[in-house]
Amino acid sequence: MGTPGVPAIELVGLTKKYVTHRGTFRRTRVENVALAGIDLAIEPGELFGLLGPNGAGKTTTTKILTTLLLPDSGVARVLGLNVVTQTDAVRRRIGFVFGGERGLYWRLSGLDNLRYFADLYRIPPSVSKRRIAELLERLGLSDRQRDKVEVYSRGMKQRLHLARGLLNDPEVLFLDEPTIGLDPVGARELRVLVRELADAGKTIFLTTHYMFEADAICDRIAVIKRGAIVAQGTPSSIKKLVEHQGVVEFEVVGLTADRLAALRRLEGVSSVALVEQELAQVVTVHCTRPADVMTQLGVILDGMTMLKVSSREPTLEDAYVQLIGDAS
Amino acid sequence: MRSLARAAYSSFRVSLRLRVVSTWAYLNWLLFPVIFTAVGLFVLSRPGAPDSHLTYGVLGGGLIGYWGIAYLDGGNGIQDERWSGTLEQIFAVPTPLWAILLGRVVGSLLFGLLAFVPTVAFAYFGFHALVPHLDVARFTISLGVLTFTFLAIALTLTPLFALWRWAFSMLNGFELGVYVLCGFMFPVTVLAPWAQGVGAALAPTWATRALYASTTTEGPHDFAAWWTAAIVLSLAYLVAAYFLYALVERRARVSGELALA
Repeated sequence: MGTPGVPAIELVGLTKKYVTHRGTFRRTRVENVALAGIDLAIEPGELFGLLGPNGAGKTTTTKILTTLLLPDSGVARVLGLNVVTQTDAVRRRIGFVFGGERGLYWRLSGLDNLRYFADLYRIPPSVSKRRIAELLERLGLSDRQRDKVEVYSRGMKQRLHLARGLLNDPEVLFLDEPTIGLDPVGARELRVLVRELADAGKTIFLTTHYMFEADAICDRIAVIKRGAIVAQGTPSSIKKLVEHQGVVEFEVVGLTADRLAALRRLEGVSSVALVEQELAQVVTVHCTRPADVMTQLGVILDGMTMLKVSSREPTLEDAYVQLIGDAS
Repeated sequence: MRSLARAAYSSFRVSLRLRVVSTWAYLNWLLFPVIFTAVGLFVLSRPGAPDSHLTYGVLGGGLIGYWGIAYLDGGNGIQDERWSGTLEQIFAVPTPLWAILLGRVVGSLLFGLLAFVPTVAFAYFGFHALVPHLDVARFTISLGVLTFTFLAIALTLTPLFALWRWAFSMLNGFELGVYVLCGFMFPVTVLAPWAQGVGAALAPTWATRALYASTTTEGPHDFAAWWTAAIVLSLAYLVAAYFLYALVERRARVSGELALA
């Protein structure tokens, strides 16, 4: 797969901005920076995750790499091919799957969708016939292949998307939030499939909101915020960014603003997040000395009803929250 | 080359299949052309009206339906692709956009020809209107030339819908303009000279003129000149389309307008 010594995906100083206009009569030109110069190198066979909040630049990066968008400056290469000037060669060797239910012909059957795209990928009929049958079997769609896509469940549609993305047996597969909207079982099945594909040697570029997903299957990840990479490495190395920290979580009833402020003022507390629930408030405290914070909690929350309190090791999500917060 | 032809053919098949299951497509080829025919025949079949005018009623509704499907459905098809999220998918495959759209447009044209079936049947059974002086050979060639002009226009304009979401809002205006300027329902000679000038730049005007001339013994019959004008203009559109496709391929990747948002 790929050329020895050549990264499967390489981004150098990639920038992209979108130009829109505001106003009806007095139109104002507005530039939104989607990518502010990102650098990445992904090795062949890697399962790479790009994490970031909405509007961070994940989809823009994916669309540039899949030849759907042109960058303003910088270089983007896939398998050593420039995505701007060698578009056709790139398209033949990549597959892509965008999350959600759209992107399929709902009034055609799953089989007809795959046959159509196989022809558009210019795969010889003898090859496409065999490959479609294999993909339908592998993705558990054989029994429903002649049903119209409109009667498929969301999970089935997403598996059909994946089958479409694999039709040309791509060397690099781009997955843009592939598990979005899937139920937990469907999402887990898809993650297993994606990991199997990576283990079989395919390079996979995955964008996701879900930290546990990236933690579970990615070899390496990068965190992007406002078009800039703020961290990259293995999930464990990213977690190390917060290894000196611990997390204290508790549920309390009727927490007031002054007590929350007192909590924030405690020594070693780096962040306090509050989530309102129906009857209680769930508070997550990131701190350097969890034991001290737990001791102080008794004082600060004196007289209040505490429902639950626990201390745990930081997760990738904690590291992500800190990175995103730090970068703001 | 074979794989390119197969991709275009596959696009043609999908185009037909999507129309077969679309209620909108049935309205376009079945209902709307019949309404135009009914109105046209009612106006044109008054006592004393010449046979040549009646022919506009018989064929006019079918022509409007044919053009509507070839052009409007082509534009709708692109917008449907955008709504269903498949526009990006078909854009990022190794098959060039023009080959995919060629298949789609040919599918539209074939479906559009069906518009003549209900209109001619309605004219015959509802108004006993016929085309008594039909020159079958010239009529067939004229219809072929007209089809080529529709193909050239649809192929040239359809990528604009891929490029600009707002292009869709101009769709109806252009559709109606061509009805009038190309003389689908009445002779262009009744139009103002400037409108005739604009119509002369539209290839279907000449093919339509030849089509109607092949159904009557009246008037001049300069078929060769009309066919030539229609074909030359269509070829000019296709040359423009060649550059337009290159522009669309590039501009769509700059603006990101293939997706809804």
